[in-house]
Amino acid sequence: METTRVSLEKKVLSENDRIAATLRDQLHQRGILCLNLISSPGSGKTSLLECTLAGFHPATRVGVLTGDIQTDNDARRLARYGFPVQQITTAGCCHLDARMIEKSLKLWNLDELDLLLIENVGNLVCPASYDLGEEAKIVVLSVTEGEDKPLKYPATFHRARAVIINKIDLLPYVPFDLELAKRNVRAVNPDAEILETSCTTAAGLAPWREWLQQAQAQANTRQPAAV
Amino acid sequence: MHEMGIAQSTLDAVRKEAALRPGYRVAKIVVRLGDLSGVDTESLSFCFDALVQGTDLDPLELVLDQVKGDALDLAYLELEEIQEGTANGNHPSLVGEESSQ
Repeated sequence: METTRVSLEKKVLSENDRIAATLRDQLHQRGILCLNLISSPGSGKTSLLECTLAGFHPATRVGVLTGDIQTDNDARRLARYGFPVQQITTAGCCHLDARMIEKSLKLWNLDELDLLLIENVGNLVCPASYDLGEEAKIVVLSVTEGEDKPLKYPATFHRARAVIINKIDLLPYVPFDLELAKRNVRAVNPDAEILETSCTTAAGLAPWREWLQQAQAQANTRQPAAV
Repeated sequence: MHEMGIAQSTLDAVRKEAALRPGYRVAKIVVRLGDLSGVDTESLSFCFDALVQGTDLDPLELVLDQVKGDALDLAYLELEEIQEGTANGNHPSLVGEESSQ
Protein backbone atom coordinates (compact mmCIF):
# COMPACT_ATOMS: atom_id res chain seq x y z
CA MET A 1 0.00 0.00 0.00
CA GLU A 2 1.19 3.50 -0.79
CA THR A 3 2.20 5.57 2.15
CA THR A 4 2.73 9.27 2.55
CA ARG A 5 5.48 10.52 4.81
CA VAL A 6 4.73 13.58 6.94
CA SER A 7 7.65 15.26 8.64
CA LEU A 8 6.95 16.26 12.26
CA GLU A 9 10.35 17.24 13.69
CA LYS A 10 9.20 18.29 17.11
CA LYS A 11 9.79 17.14 20.65
CA VAL A 12 7.71 14.24 21.92
CA LEU A 13 7.11 16.33 25.03
CA SER A 14 6.32 19.48 23.07
CA GLU A 15 3.16 20.10 25.12
CA ASN A 16 5.17 19.94 28.37
CA ASP A 17 7.89 22.07 26.78
CA ARG A 18 5.32 24.66 25.64
CA ILE A 19 4.03 25.10 29.20
CA ALA A 20 7.61 25.14 30.52
CA ALA A 21 8.56 27.86 28.04
CA THR A 22 5.61 29.99 29.21
CA LEU A 23 6.65 29.48 32.83
CA ARG A 24 10.26 30.34 31.99
CA ASP A 25 9.08 33.58 30.33
CA GLN A 26 7.03 34.52 33.39
CA LEU A 27 9.97 33.82 35.70
CA HIS A 28 12.47 35.65 33.48
CA GLN A 29 10.28 38.73 33.26
CA ARG A 30 10.27 38.97 37.03
CA GLY A 31 13.97 38.15 37.40
CA ILE A 32 13.15 35.05 39.43
CA LEU A 33 15.79 32.34 39.64
CA CYS A 34 14.17 28.90 39.43
CA LEU A 35 16.16 25.76 40.26
CA ASN A 36 15.05 22.15 39.83
CA LEU A 37 16.65 19.82 42.39
CA ILE A 38 16.93 16.20 41.28
CA SER A 39 18.35 13.19 43.10
CA SER A 40 17.64 9.62 44.08
CA PRO A 41 15.40 9.18 47.16
CA GLY A 42 17.20 9.85 50.42
CA SER A 43 20.22 11.72 49.11
CA GLY A 44 19.32 14.78 51.15
CA LYS A 45 17.44 17.21 48.89
CA THR A 46 15.05 18.18 51.67
CA SER A 47 17.84 18.50 54.24
CA LEU A 48 19.83 20.67 51.86
CA LEU A 49 16.77 22.85 51.32
CA GLU A 50 16.27 23.09 55.08
CA CYS A 51 19.88 24.25 55.54
CA THR A 52 19.47 26.67 52.65
CA LEU A 53 16.24 28.17 54.00
CA ALA A 54 17.66 28.34 57.53
CA GLY A 55 20.50 30.50 56.23
CA PHE A 56 18.23 33.06 54.53
CA HIS A 57 17.26 36.40 56.02
CA PRO A 58 13.55 36.27 56.93
CA ALA A 59 12.84 38.92 54.30
CA THR A 60 14.24 36.72 51.52
CA ARG A 61 11.64 36.32 48.79
CA VAL A 62 11.94 32.56 48.29
CA GLY A 63 9.31 29.91 47.63
CA VAL A 64 9.64 26.12 47.56
CA LEU A 65 7.65 23.55 45.61
CA THR A 66 8.34 20.03 46.79
CA GLY A 67 7.23 16.94 44.90
CA ASP A 68 6.55 13.51 46.29
CA ILE A 69 4.49 10.53 45.25
CA GLN A 70 2.71 10.50 48.61
CA THR A 71 2.66 12.47 51.90
CA ASP A 72 3.23 16.14 52.68
CA ASN A 73 6.09 15.34 55.07
CA ASP A 74 8.59 17.43 53.13
CA ALA A 75 6.34 20.48 52.92
CA ARG A 76 5.76 20.30 56.67
CA ARG A 77 9.51 20.06 57.29
CA LEU A 78 10.26 22.99 54.98
CA ALA A 79 7.39 25.20 56.15
CA ARG A 80 9.07 25.55 59.58
CA TYR A 81 11.45 28.14 58.14
CA GLY A 82 8.67 30.66 57.52
CA PHE A 83 8.83 30.83 53.73
CA PRO A 84 5.99 29.85 51.39
CA VAL A 85 6.05 26.11 50.63
CA GLN A 86 3.71 23.95 48.59
CA GLN A 87 3.66 20.17 48.41
CA ILE A 88 2.93 18.64 45.02
CA THR A 89 1.68 15.10 45.57
CA THR A 90 1.93 13.25 42.28
CA ALA A 91 -0.08 10.19 43.39
CA GLY A 92 2.13 7.66 41.66
CA CYS A 93 3.79 9.79 39.03
CA CYS A 94 7.58 9.43 39.23
CA HIS A 95 8.49 12.99 38.24
CA LEU A 96 7.16 16.54 38.24
CA ASP A 97 6.01 18.02 34.93
CA ALA A 98 5.46 21.57 33.78
CA ARG A 99 1.68 21.35 34.16
CA MET A 100 2.03 20.56 37.89
CA ILE A 101 4.31 23.57 38.36
CA GLU A 102 1.93 25.82 36.41
CA LYS A 103 -0.98 24.69 38.58
CA SER A 104 0.94 25.31 41.82
CA LEU A 105 2.28 28.70 40.79
CA LYS A 106 -1.26 29.91 40.09
CA LEU A 107 -1.73 29.91 43.86
CA TRP A 108 1.17 32.33 44.38
CA ASN A 109 1.79 35.93 43.42
CA LEU A 110 5.05 35.62 41.47
CA ASP A 111 5.76 39.31 42.03
CA GLU A 112 6.53 38.38 45.64
CA LEU A 113 9.34 35.96 44.72
CA ASP A 114 13.01 36.29 43.74
CA LEU A 115 13.90 32.62 44.08
CA LEU A 116 11.88 29.50 43.37
CA LEU A 117 13.31 26.17 44.50
CA ILE A 118 11.69 23.02 43.15
CA GLU A 119 12.41 19.71 44.82
CA ASN A 120 11.63 17.01 42.29
CA VAL A 121 10.40 13.50 43.13
CA GLY A 122 13.31 11.33 44.29
CA ASN A 123 14.34 9.63 41.06
CA LEU A 124 17.49 9.87 38.92
CA VAL A 125 15.78 8.82 35.69
CA CYS A 126 12.46 10.35 34.77
CA PRO A 127 12.75 13.97 36.02
CA ALA A 128 15.54 14.54 33.48
CA SER A 129 13.07 14.40 30.59
CA TYR A 130 10.68 17.04 31.91
CA ASP A 131 11.49 20.71 31.57
CA LEU A 132 9.80 22.61 34.42
CA GLY A 133 10.72 26.06 33.16
CA GLU A 134 13.70 26.16 35.49
CA GLU A 135 16.88 28.15 34.94
CA ALA A 136 19.03 25.17 35.91
CA LYS A 137 18.88 21.60 37.14
CA ILE A 138 20.87 20.75 40.25
CA VAL A 139 21.65 17.09 40.90
CA VAL A 140 22.31 15.95 44.46
CA LEU A 141 24.39 12.82 44.94
CA SER A 142 25.17 11.50 48.41
CA VAL A 143 28.31 9.60 49.32
CA THR A 144 26.31 6.56 50.44
CA GLU A 145 25.08 5.99 46.89
CA GLY A 146 28.25 4.97 45.10
CA GLU A 147 30.54 7.02 42.91
CA ASP A 148 29.38 5.46 39.66
CA LYS A 149 25.91 7.06 39.72
CA PRO A 150 26.84 9.70 37.09
CA LEU A 151 27.81 6.89 34.70
CA LYS A 152 24.67 4.90 35.47
CA TYR A 153 22.33 7.88 35.08
CA PRO A 154 24.10 9.99 32.45
CA ALA A 155 20.92 11.63 31.12
CA THR A 156 20.30 13.32 34.47
CA PHE A 157 23.90 14.30 35.25
CA HIS A 158 24.44 15.48 31.67
CA ARG A 159 21.73 18.13 32.09
CA ALA A 160 22.89 19.47 35.48
CA ARG A 161 24.30 22.97 35.90
CA ALA A 162 25.70 21.91 39.28
CA VAL A 163 26.20 18.60 41.06
CA ILE A 164 26.16 18.63 44.84
CA ILE A 165 27.94 15.75 46.55
CA ASN A 166 26.13 15.56 49.88
CA LYS A 167 26.69 13.84 53.23
CA ILE A 168 30.47 14.34 53.00
CA ASP A 169 30.64 13.99 56.79
CA LEU A 170 30.14 10.26 56.17
CA LEU A 171 33.20 9.94 53.93
CA PRO A 172 35.36 8.33 56.66
CA TYR A 173 32.76 5.59 57.12
CA VAL A 174 31.84 4.61 53.56
CA PRO A 175 33.93 3.28 50.67
CA PHE A 176 33.21 6.28 48.47
CA ASP A 177 36.02 7.58 46.25
CA LEU A 178 35.33 11.31 46.06
CA GLU A 179 37.85 12.01 43.31
CA LEU A 180 36.50 9.15 41.20
CA ALA A 181 32.97 10.47 41.72
CA LYS A 182 34.05 13.88 40.44
CA ARG A 183 35.79 12.32 37.44
CA ASN A 184 32.58 10.41 36.69
CA VAL A 185 30.54 13.62 36.85
CA ARG A 186 33.00 15.32 34.49
CA ALA A 187 32.93 12.34 32.12
CA VAL A 188 29.23 12.94 31.39
CA ASN A 189 29.20 16.69 32.05
CA PRO A 190 32.54 18.52 31.85
CA ASP A 191 30.93 21.91 32.57
CA ALA A 192 29.01 21.11 35.75
CA GLU A 193 30.00 22.93 38.91
CA ILE A 194 30.74 20.36 41.60
CA LEU A 195 30.02 21.27 45.21
CA GLU A 196 30.50 19.21 48.36
CA THR A 197 28.18 19.59 51.33
CA SER A 198 27.16 18.13 54.62
CA CYS A 199 23.88 19.17 56.17
CA THR A 200 24.99 17.61 59.47
CA THR A 201 28.25 19.53 59.93
CA ALA A 202 27.34 22.46 57.64
CA ALA A 203 30.58 21.82 55.69
CA GLY A 204 30.45 23.24 52.18
CA LEU A 205 27.20 25.14 52.72
CA ALA A 206 28.96 28.51 52.34
CA PRO A 207 30.19 27.78 48.77
CA TRP A 208 26.69 26.48 47.91
CA ARG A 209 25.12 29.71 49.19
CA GLU A 210 27.68 31.67 47.20
CA TRP A 211 26.84 29.70 44.06
CA LEU A 212 23.16 30.39 44.70
CA GLN A 213 23.77 34.12 45.16
CA GLN A 214 25.75 34.34 41.95
CA ALA A 215 23.09 32.48 40.00
CA GLN A 216 20.47 34.78 41.48
CA ALA A 217 22.46 37.90 40.62
CA GLN A 218 22.64 36.66 37.03
CA ALA A 219 18.88 36.02 36.95
CA ASN A 220 18.17 39.46 38.34
CA THR A 221 20.40 41.29 35.86
CA ARG A 222 18.65 39.52 33.02
CA GLN A 223 15.38 41.16 34.04
CA PRO A 224 15.75 44.49 32.14
CA ALA A 225 16.69 42.72 28.93
CA ALA A 226 13.65 40.46 29.08
CA VAL A 227 11.14 43.26 29.61
CA MET B 1 9.26 4.54 34.67
CA HIS B 2 7.97 7.52 32.70
CA GLU B 3 7.80 5.67 29.40
CA MET B 4 4.00 5.40 29.70
CA GLY B 5 3.81 9.20 29.72
CA ILE B 6 6.19 9.44 26.76
CA ALA B 7 4.10 6.85 24.88
CA GLN B 8 0.91 8.78 25.70
CA SER B 9 2.44 12.06 24.48
CA THR B 10 3.50 10.34 21.25
CA LEU B 11 -0.03 9.03 20.72
CA ASP B 12 -1.53 12.45 21.47
CA ALA B 13 0.66 13.90 18.71
CA VAL B 14 -0.36 11.10 16.32
CA ARG B 15 -4.05 11.78 17.02
CA LYS B 16 -3.58 15.48 16.43
CA GLU B 17 -1.93 14.85 13.07
CA ALA B 18 -4.51 12.22 12.10
CA ALA B 19 -7.34 14.67 12.78
CA LEU B 20 -5.80 17.08 10.29
CA ARG B 21 -5.85 14.46 7.52
CA PRO B 22 -9.28 12.95 6.93
CA GLY B 23 -9.25 9.96 4.57
CA TYR B 24 -5.91 8.78 5.90
CA ARG B 25 -4.79 6.70 8.83
CA VAL B 26 -1.42 6.75 10.53
CA ALA B 27 0.47 3.50 9.88
CA LYS B 28 3.84 4.33 11.39
CA ILE B 29 5.37 6.86 13.73
CA VAL B 30 9.12 7.34 13.94
CA VAL B 31 10.57 8.62 17.20
CA ARG B 32 14.20 9.75 17.39
CA LEU B 33 15.64 8.63 20.70
CA GLY B 34 19.06 9.70 22.00
CA ASP B 35 21.21 7.52 24.25
CA LEU B 36 21.04 10.35 26.81
CA SER B 37 17.27 10.77 26.57
CA GLY B 38 16.72 8.75 29.73
CA VAL B 39 14.07 6.67 27.98
CA ASP B 40 14.21 2.88 27.84
CA THR B 41 13.44 1.60 24.35
CA GLU B 42 11.88 -1.73 25.34
CA SER B 43 9.72 -0.12 27.98
CA LEU B 44 8.59 2.60 25.57
CA SER B 45 7.65 0.04 22.90
CA PHE B 46 5.78 -2.03 25.47
CA CYS B 47 3.81 0.97 26.78
CA PHE B 48 3.10 2.21 23.27
CA ASP B 49 1.69 -1.13 22.14
CA ALA B 50 -0.40 -1.40 25.30
CA LEU B 51 -1.94 2.02 24.67
CA VAL B 52 -2.62 1.41 20.97
CA GLN B 53 -4.10 -2.07 21.28
CA GLY B 54 -7.84 -2.15 20.67
CA THR B 55 -8.15 1.54 19.82
CA ASP B 56 -9.02 3.13 16.48
CA LEU B 57 -5.27 3.69 15.92
CA ASP B 58 -4.53 -0.04 15.99
CA PRO B 59 -2.40 -1.17 14.12
CA LEU B 60 0.20 1.52 14.48
CA GLU B 61 3.89 0.79 14.19
CA LEU B 62 6.39 2.56 16.44
CA VAL B 63 9.89 2.82 15.01
CA LEU B 64 12.67 4.03 17.30
CA ASP B 65 15.54 5.75 15.55
CA GLN B 66 18.34 5.48 18.11
CA VAL B 67 20.92 8.26 17.93
CA LYS B 68 23.61 9.87 20.09
CA GLY B 69 22.66 12.73 22.39
CA ASP B 70 19.52 13.66 24.33
CA ALA B 71 16.98 13.73 21.48
CA LEU B 72 13.39 12.72 22.23
CA ASP B 73 11.74 13.83 19.02
CA LEU B 74 8.86 12.93 16.77
CA ALA B 75 10.71 12.56 13.45
CA TYR B 76 7.96 11.72 10.99
CA LEU B 77 4.88 9.59 10.46
CA GLU B 78 3.58 7.58 7.55
CA LEU B 79 -0.01 7.83 6.36
CA GLU B 80 -2.08 5.30 4.45
CA GLU B 81 -5.22 6.10 2.54
CA ILE B 82 -8.21 4.60 4.32
CA GLN B 83 -9.78 1.83 2.19
CA GLU B 84 -13.53 1.43 1.70
CA GLY B 85 -15.15 -0.30 4.67
CA THR B 86 -12.40 0.59 7.10
CA ALA B 87 -13.10 4.30 7.20
CA ASN B 88 -14.44 4.17 10.74
CA GLY B 89 -11.47 2.19 11.95
CA ASN B 90 -13.63 -0.73 13.07
CA HIS B 91 -11.60 -3.32 11.20
CA PRO B 92 -8.10 -3.05 12.46
CA SER B 93 -7.28 -6.64 11.65
CA LEU B 94 -8.20 -6.13 7.98
CA VAL B 95 -6.05 -3.02 7.75
CA GLY B 96 -3.29 -4.93 9.46
CA GLU B 97 -3.36 -7.67 6.81
CA GLU B 98 -3.29 -5.15 4.00
CA SER B 99 -0.41 -3.14 5.36
CA SER B 100 1.69 -6.19 6.02
CA GLN B 101 1.84 -7.20 2.35
